[in-house]
Amino acid sequence: MQAPYIQLKEIRLTFDKDQKDTIRRFSLNIKEGEFISIVGKSGCGKTSLLQMVAGMQKPTSGLITIGGHEVKEPVDELSYVFQKPILLEWKTILENVLLPLQLKRKLTEKDTKKAKEMLDRVGLTDAIHKFPYECSGGMQSRVAIVRALLDKPQILLMDEPFSALDSFTRDQLHVQLNELIDTYKPTVLFVTHDLQEAFFLSDRIILLGGEPGRILKEYQVPFTRPRQKSISFDQSFYNFQQDMNERLQS
Amino acid sequence: MKKIYLYSTLLFISLLILWEMIVKVKKISPLILPKPTTIADHLFTLLLSGYFTPHIFTTLVEIISGFFVGALLGIGLGLLVAQSNTLRLVLKPYIIATQAMPKVALAPLLILWFGYGYTPKILIVALISFFPLFESTITGLLVVDKDRLALFQLLKASKWQTMWRLQMPTAIPYLLSGMRVAVVLSVVGAVVSEFIGANKGLGALIIVAQGMMDTPLLFSAFILLTAIGILLYASIYAIEHLFLRKYTTYRRKIS
Repeated sequence: MQAPYIQLKEIRLTFDKDQKDTIRRFSLNIKEGEFISIVGKSGCGKTSLLQMVAGMQKPTSGLITIGGHEVKEPVDELSYVFQKPILLEWKTILENVLLPLQLKRKLTEKDTKKAKEMLDRVGLTDAIHKFPYECSGGMQSRVAIVRALLDKPQILLMDEPFSALDSFTRDQLHVQLNELIDTYKPTVLFVTHDLQEAFFLSDRIILLGGEPGRILKEYQVPFTRPRQKSISFDQSFYNFQQDMNERLQS
Repeated sequence: MKKIYLYSTLLFISLLILWEMIVKVKKISPLILPKPTTIADHLFTLLLSGYFTPHIFTTLVEIISGFFVGALLGIGLGLLVAQSNTLRLVLKPYIIATQAMPKVALAPLLILWFGYGYTPKILIVALISFFPLFESTITGLLVVDKDRLALFQLLKASKWQTMWRLQMPTAIPYLLSGMRVAVVLSVVGAVVSEFIGANKGLGALIIVAQGMMDTPLLFSAFILLTAIGILLYASIYAIEHLFLRKYTTYRRKIS
């Protein structure tokens, strides 16, 4: 059996000493290259989980490891896509994409070429010299994803990156994200409210719920990659959606 | 937009004509209120004769040097104080006290200490321009969105990189508005310090004109000071437009 790449062991999270736990006894093993979505109602601790894996927040108790090493601070092999694209308005789209590399080392011609290629893959060739305020929400989301994937991270954490977009743009971005994931094969932890999104993108779906937040159920998505958008109309998706809604309401 | 400029110019000309007519019709003494044409004649004659040149030069040296000293200290200390919460809290009462203090009231004391040369005037201008820049630097550096700071934290940016690549660009629009306030206040600082003790400079000239009851000269000096204020204010816009446009344009576009 393959050893887990990311391991969350008996995680408990409390924001205040006197307050109730936000998350309690949360354990999860994630294999290398796996795409896991965490779905659940607002306030059940989805984002906090992601931030703990990212090393931005410490669990009150429990252990998080990546590749066998305890996470104490943000690690190099990890990239994070926030709910908002968080682009720097004074930088062009290309400069925004190159930012992570620019903070690490001196940029080379090769870096710029690679960034341009990736922007081209998501249909942003004409926008590379534009500023973020000149781009739509969908374009900005694509830039944020390209920025996160440029340095080929081994782990990609995504916190509802498409939640502010219309359903048409979201559908487009799901297809593009899947293509990029199939190419770069990072391990992905994806937080979302959108069940269809989770079903289309993930290998495994974790339903988080209750107070304090815990795993209500795990679902294995019964489709191999690469995927077609039509799987969202498969009967198994309706069954999965019904089961999930029932569990969330009970 | 062109029409707006035309209307503004027409309004200005109309007000001058009205002023000229009132003085003529009411036969107001030129000692009290000279006609705009008299002032203009006075202004251009003295300008062309070179009479104003040393005074303009003196006042400009005081304003520009004082502004630079104030900017250097204000921005420098702002950068330092924004780095540490403890330092900010320790210095807070002093900052509030020195801000509330009428800086020009220190002019007599500074003249007593440093004499009648440039030094006390430059110091007054520096003191006056220090606070808008100090305040705007701190505000600009601390206003950074926490998601952006989280992004830089995740990208393992050093403190220096976060300051240089995130906080400073965010602070630029705040710094520019601080500079616009400071540069206008610098003119006030230079004039008031010249009122108290100087024999050169446009402020000193106003005091001389008052003593000689030369009202056209008083108006001329006043116009020159206004022109200097406008030019300096516009030069901050020019700097923004030429070098820093990308740091400020988005604020207008997204607001």
